[in-house]
Amino acid sequence: MNRDASAQSVPAKRGLFKTFFLCLPMMLLTFMMLTRGNIPADEDRLFALAITFFFFNVLFFLMVHTGKTDRFRSILFITLSVCFVISFISHLIEVRGSMAISGANMIEGEVPFCHIAIPMTLIPAALTKTIIFPGTIIGSFASIASMFVLWIGVSLSLGRGLCSWFCFFGGLEDGFSRIFRKPLIKNINVKWTYLPYAVLLVVVLLAAVTLSPTYCHWLCPFKTVTEFVEITSVKILIQTIIFVSLFIGLVIVLPILTKRRTQCGLFCPFGAFQSFTNKTNAFEVRIDHEKCVKCMKCVQICPTFSISEESIAEGRTGISCTKCGKCVDACPKTALFYHVKGTSLVSSLDRYRLLFLYPAFLVLATMAGGYVQDVIVKTIKLIATGSII
Amino acid sequence: MLEGFILGLSNGVTCVAYCAPVLIPYLLGEGKRISQNSALTVQFLLGRLSGYLLFAVFAWGINHSILQWMSKPDLLIGGAYVIFSVLLIFYGFFKTTTSCAASRINGLRHKWVAIMPFSLPIIAGFVTGLSFCPPFLLAFTGAIERTSLLKSMLFFFAFFLGTSIFFIPTPFVGIFRGFSTLKMVGKMAAGLIGVYYLYSGIVMLIGGISRI
Repeated sequence: MNRDASAQSVPAKRGLFKTFFLCLPMMLLTFMMLTRGNIPADEDRLFALAITFFFFNVLFFLMVHTGKTDRFRSILFITLSVCFVISFISHLIEVRGSMAISGANMIEGEVPFCHIAIPMTLIPAALTKTIIFPGTIIGSFASIASMFVLWIGVSLSLGRGLCSWFCFFGGLEDGFSRIFRKPLIKNINVKWTYLPYAVLLVVVLLAAVTLSPTYCHWLCPFKTVTEFVEITSVKILIQTIIFVSLFIGLVIVLPILTKRRTQCGLFCPFGAFQSFTNKTNAFEVRIDHEKCVKCMKCVQICPTFSISEESIAEGRTGISCTKCGKCVDACPKTALFYHVKGTSLVSSLDRYRLLFLYPAFLVLATMAGGYVQDVIVKTIKLIATGSII
Repeated sequence: MLEGFILGLSNGVTCVAYCAPVLIPYLLGEGKRISQNSALTVQFLLGRLSGYLLFAVFAWGINHSILQWMSKPDLLIGGAYVIFSVLLIFYGFFKTTTSCAASRINGLRHKWVAIMPFSLPIIAGFVTGLSFCPPFLLAFTGAIERTSLLKSMLFFFAFFLGTSIFFIPTPFVGIFRGFSTLKMVGKMAAGLIGVYYLYSGIVMLIGGISRI
């Protein structure tokens, strides 16, 4: 990597005034996304809106001011997942009275669509013009069309960054992976990083041949904290044991022990599928050979196993990089940096980071906004009435 | 048929990943045109199909000789599923070295080329069809379950179709770079399908035991 005298690295800190100026567009955008054009008349909702807006913008301000990305992203990302789970479960209990999906719910297409099911639906949709998921195409909460539109938009703007700036499940294991200061399990055989691609291959093939969302039926660990099929047979009982075990193992225990996002990095078929969108996305994380002192800190801390000695030699993170910024924050020599493909590798590096942060943070804030406000309102209701429903 | 096709699909990547490096020197000699390469690939696949169909007949024979005498065939077939699926899981996730069955004919290559130059792709295909790898053994068990010769042959034919889809690009040799990644993903996919068959085998065993 050639470097001239005027080459700039990422600055450690910005002045307060300059930071405030840079944060103004985000304030405007988050205000638009959180209010959706309507200031709520209800006091509780207005309070929730104000708190959410303040919380989000303080985090973005700190990101811009300190030059640290993951430190503040992770707070909002974990908040998104926790609030999503609370909001989703309470919503289900309000509507259905239970987290369990009955046969009648499935026939009526009342199952909210999730982005993880997208790879399984593509081939059957192309071949048979059928969506193999018991949800509604348009109109209802988390309809199939709305999730596809969101997925296309976020994939175009962030690539696999979706997994660290959009996915409402990823924050759970991200949170668990931060419990201990040091990992108890350090060495994980690199061959397991191929497993998500194998899971993807199998579930896509099985879904195409059987015309049913096989991953959702058998493997999705997140059904444990969202919704699941009512246990009415031994087969469903076995399915339940499998997905609960996967949740405990991959989302709780292994992230705690390894300090990595093991479900995302070693199992998730959607993550594997999403990795290919990194090829067409404009943003990437690069590694400066000249600055790198081969301390391997980035290799050890990457949550999705996307950095190896080979990738350092190539000067870029692997295809599965979720652009969370953890390596960028941790590098003692600022050798890792956000970059826009096709532009200079030695100057304006902080501008590239800002260019990435605006869409990425807006996506995260938009995803989290509704759930965070909902949880604040429900918490107020819980304090006032003793019930969140 | 559907089960055979799924089993073939899930293992086709591994078959190609392991066998193509051995077969390509035979099938796709340097400088040959895509049309010639395609013809050789078809010969290879026909040889492979004949190997499978031979075993379909053998499976039908076992069904009519051994299983007809047994009062609880579920136990035998379920047990076979469990054993072979465990082998497939081991092969998919833990076994590090696997070779293509066609490599067995390496020593005979020059003799065959001298005597019958056009037969080599067919023989290579036939030998891969006789490979006793866990996916093949599972397919064999599935074929034994079929009560008629036609169903047994159709099951193996579906298995053949599933694996053959992945051989379609072989005339375009250039895409076969990065074999190590393909091998790893293919093997793990086979291992995952092994888990599915393990479940089927256990269900069958429970069914057999409950009827005793």
